[in-house]
Amino acid sequence: MQMLKYVLKRVGYSIVTLFVLVALTFFLQRMLPGDPFIGDKALPQATMDALNAKYGLDKSVGEQFLIYLGNCLHGDLGLSLQTNRPVATIIADSFVVSFDLGIRAIIFAFVLGVLLGTVAAIKRGKATDTICMFIALVGVSVPSFIVASILQYFLGLQLTQTLKGAGMGAMFAATGWDSWNSKILPVLALGFGSLAQISRLTRTSMLDVLGQDYIKTAKAKGLSQPAIIWKHALRNAITPVVTVLGPIAAAVLTGAFVVENIFSIPGLGRYFVQSIQTMDYTMISGTTIFYGAFLIAANLVVDLVYGVIDPRVKLEEG
Amino acid sequence: MAKDTKKVVLDVNDLHVSFDTYAGEVKAVRGVTFTLHEGEVLAIVGESGCGKSVTAQTVMKLNPMPPARIPQGEVHLGEHDIVKASEKEMQTLRGKEVSMIFQDPMTCLNPTKPVGKQIVEAIRHHRKLSTAEAKAEAIKYLKMVNIPNAEERAKQYPHEFSGGMRQRAMIAMALSCNPKVLIADEPTTALDVTIQAQIMDLLAEIKEETDTAIILITHDLGVVAGMADRVAVMYAGKIVETGSVEDIFYRNAHPYTQALLKSLPSVDADKTERLVSIAGTPPDLLNPPHGCGFAARCKRCMKICQEEQPPEFTVGEGHVASCWLLHPDCPSPEERGEKDVD
Amino acid sequence: MEKIDKSRFAWVGADPEKRESMARPSITYWKDAMGRLMKNKVAVVCLMIIVVLILACALVPMFSPYTSREQHLSELNKGFFTVCNDGEHAGTMHVFGTDKLGRDLLTRAFEGGRVSLMIAFAAVSVNLIIGMIYGGISGYFGGMVDNIMMRIVEVVNGIPYLIVVVLLMMVLPKGIFTMVVAYATVGWTGMARLVRGQCLSLKNQEFVVAAEAMGAKASRIIARHLLPNTLSVIIINVTLAVPSAIFTEAFLSYIGMGVPVPQPSWGMLAQEGAGMFQLYPSQLWIPAIAISLTMLSFNLLGDGLRDAFDPRLRR
Repeated sequence: MQMLKYVLKRVGYSIVTLFVLVALTFFLQRMLPGDPFIGDKALPQATMDALNAKYGLDKSVGEQFLIYLGNCLHGDLGLSLQTNRPVATIIADSFVVSFDLGIRAIIFAFVLGVLLGTVAAIKRGKATDTICMFIALVGVSVPSFIVASILQYFLGLQLTQTLKGAGMGAMFAATGWDSWNSKILPVLALGFGSLAQISRLTRTSMLDVLGQDYIKTAKAKGLSQPAIIWKHALRNAITPVVTVLGPIAAAVLTGAFVVENIFSIPGLGRYFVQSIQTMDYTMISGTTIFYGAFLIAANLVVDLVYGVIDPRVKLEEG
Repeated sequence: MAKDTKKVVLDVNDLHVSFDTYAGEVKAVRGVTFTLHEGEVLAIVGESGCGKSVTAQTVMKLNPMPPARIPQGEVHLGEHDIVKASEKEMQTLRGKEVSMIFQDPMTCLNPTKPVGKQIVEAIRHHRKLSTAEAKAEAIKYLKMVNIPNAEERAKQYPHEFSGGMRQRAMIAMALSCNPKVLIADEPTTALDVTIQAQIMDLLAEIKEETDTAIILITHDLGVVAGMADRVAVMYAGKIVETGSVEDIFYRNAHPYTQALLKSLPSVDADKTERLVSIAGTPPDLLNPPHGCGFAARCKRCMKICQEEQPPEFTVGEGHVASCWLLHPDCPSPEERGEKDVD
Repeated sequence: MEKIDKSRFAWVGADPEKRESMARPSITYWKDAMGRLMKNKVAVVCLMIIVVLILACALVPMFSPYTSREQHLSELNKGFFTVCNDGEHAGTMHVFGTDKLGRDLLTRAFEGGRVSLMIAFAAVSVNLIIGMIYGGISGYFGGMVDNIMMRIVEVVNGIPYLIVVVLLMMVLPKGIFTMVVAYATVGWTGMARLVRGQCLSLKNQEFVVAAEAMGAKASRIIARHLLPNTLSVIIINVTLAVPSAIFTEAFLSYIGMGVPVPQPSWGMLAQEGAGMFQLYPSQLWIPAIAISLTMLSFNLLGDGLRDAFDPRLRR
């Protein structure tokens, strides 16, 4: 019962948030300077009226908003001004690639981040800790587009050239998203920042957990340190890390804007940046709503998963 | 006495424990000596921060090293030399030879594991049993500590247990491998008074039914009276007086013990008698005093107390106290010029 | 037993002075925290780097022989320490070389730093002010007011901020002001939550009750009692918010939504440099190092502050 209430509450929040986002997008779009039908030469009034009627622009703002909302619910996000293809189709085609890239980056960041953070916490104050945390600090301080450029230049181009000189094949491809070796560098570049964030958080949380009384109990039972970490500490230390997976998903998603561009990956992020540069407004707003909906859903899933992994979670507080 | 014929299970000799903090070396335990026999209950009593918990945790080497250090002293658990034991060796001893229950049962069980599983884990670590057998054992011990519906309860998470039940589950876990020594570190401090009595009754039952020796750490002398065989009073990292319960309550010789007892409320006390608190705080063990640790707070403090640490003086059989007042050369109060002022 | 002289057994009694004395000197919270910060070498070095960077960004463009926009079309994409042969500046040196339009990169780098840091500081200040007012009110009044205000925060927080920023940037004209507005629209929630949490935990403490009992007004209690106590937490978070603002500026400029060309900012320089990276890597290195070094310094300083302010570490 309590669980159901928690779930309903979370779902309710997500719906309100999504509604606010759609409203924001709609009204911002209306604030755009210029009239959509004023081109190089003026159109006769009759034509203007006909066009306005056709696109529903003669209706009141409220009605227009409701229609827009309805269309969004149907998955109709309009036509791209540049390519005249339905925005929804472009998203459907390209997001598959972005999702593939993003999920790999998140898995990479999570696994390695938790490992790094745990090792640092166990070796607190030692050289290993310093090294791990320095790597993490570099990760949070160097933006993904710089990491991507550097990886592409040194590993994608320079190393490949050196290997070629030695008569070997390319280890990493510098562009694209087809062969296995083209997927390594983008995932590294995209996941590095999140890895750093996760490892910092894991370290803090692990240190906190290792100071808890139940760890002392486990030690008093005679368990070895690896057993204590694995069986008692890790799960409790990861719980707070799970809560940041929502923001991490957002960071990876936006990070993909630039990483996809740099590595010429045909994902949604790349189209999004292109549409910004070409002022393709329907594409921008459609993609924005899609991204927003996706992230809100991701946050919802994270919240619900959190409720499941932590049996203590105070659902009524959620 | 009968206990002399019993086996010594724990022998602590001149134990020193220090912590290296950034402010300097904190000498938390400064030369503690005691022995514990099979089936015996030893109470270690003292104010918070006097080193009683550190002493107990050192027996299990639970204090992380560093910052903790054992600069001097010996601890023998049966035939095992604890000070020299490697971490690996300690892992075979902890839980099996010596186990511990802690002050706050609310935080001592892993919140994300069912209680039964946590007990099974201890059993499987030390005893060669199958999972099913270990489960049965765990339930047997849960029943032993009077947890109703033990089979069902074993599947529940700690947050579904009340405080008293958690402490009983902790005791079940601690006993599950039949340890020779059970250390109870303030087992009732965090509990309601009625629950406290239940836990003490349970410990008394364990004392009767098993030959596990118990070290009972507490700051509550009232708790001690009911079940301890012997009492050690600790102050500022040292044991200032040891003896039987009767020795400590009725024939005490150390001013600190006396002050501690005066601060204890009793039902049958004369209504006009007021409780007396001990003015001041224990010394900072970062710079322990040269003389007796209690000197600054002691009404009967003498010149020598500030200069030199008092040795142990035998007061009666099995009753020892460290106070200069017990020195054979110590003159009468009149000659010392003692006045009864605060 | 060794004989001991009777005189040594002379009674002295309890020593009320000594028995209460704390062996460790007590220091005030702020002094203690500052002392610990100053002992943290890494944090001090970072603080110095930040100060030097700010000064350099303020001064270098003033004393540079070039302006950030002037083009020397005869010397494009020159490397470090190229002597200028063009026009009135003949004989002066392009210390960081020039870009693809022959603009002096040293001047652009520091002027870009000015823009980036200005955006970051302005955005964080706006966030701070909104967050403090909002969080202070919410935390102080509590109950229904708090409930509604925090629901709003939750909704705003649920919207991915870079997406909103992109949306806003689409509508507003390009420029520094727009970036600050865009960042502040969604960035204040974190600060508001923080301040609210602090207020809630502090408001039930005795000194607030005392002030209330003596008839102090709500606004006065917030300003005089609640906020100073949350100050340490706020300082840490402001320090850690700066790198995130710098990152946002760089990111937006990089995807073409930043300050308008030819205005330099670190993000713009990185974007321009990325295009030339394979031929002239230094053009990306300069802004990349500037951004990373600044973010790193602020992050490390923030960590240092956190360690210094955390009373739990005091033993």
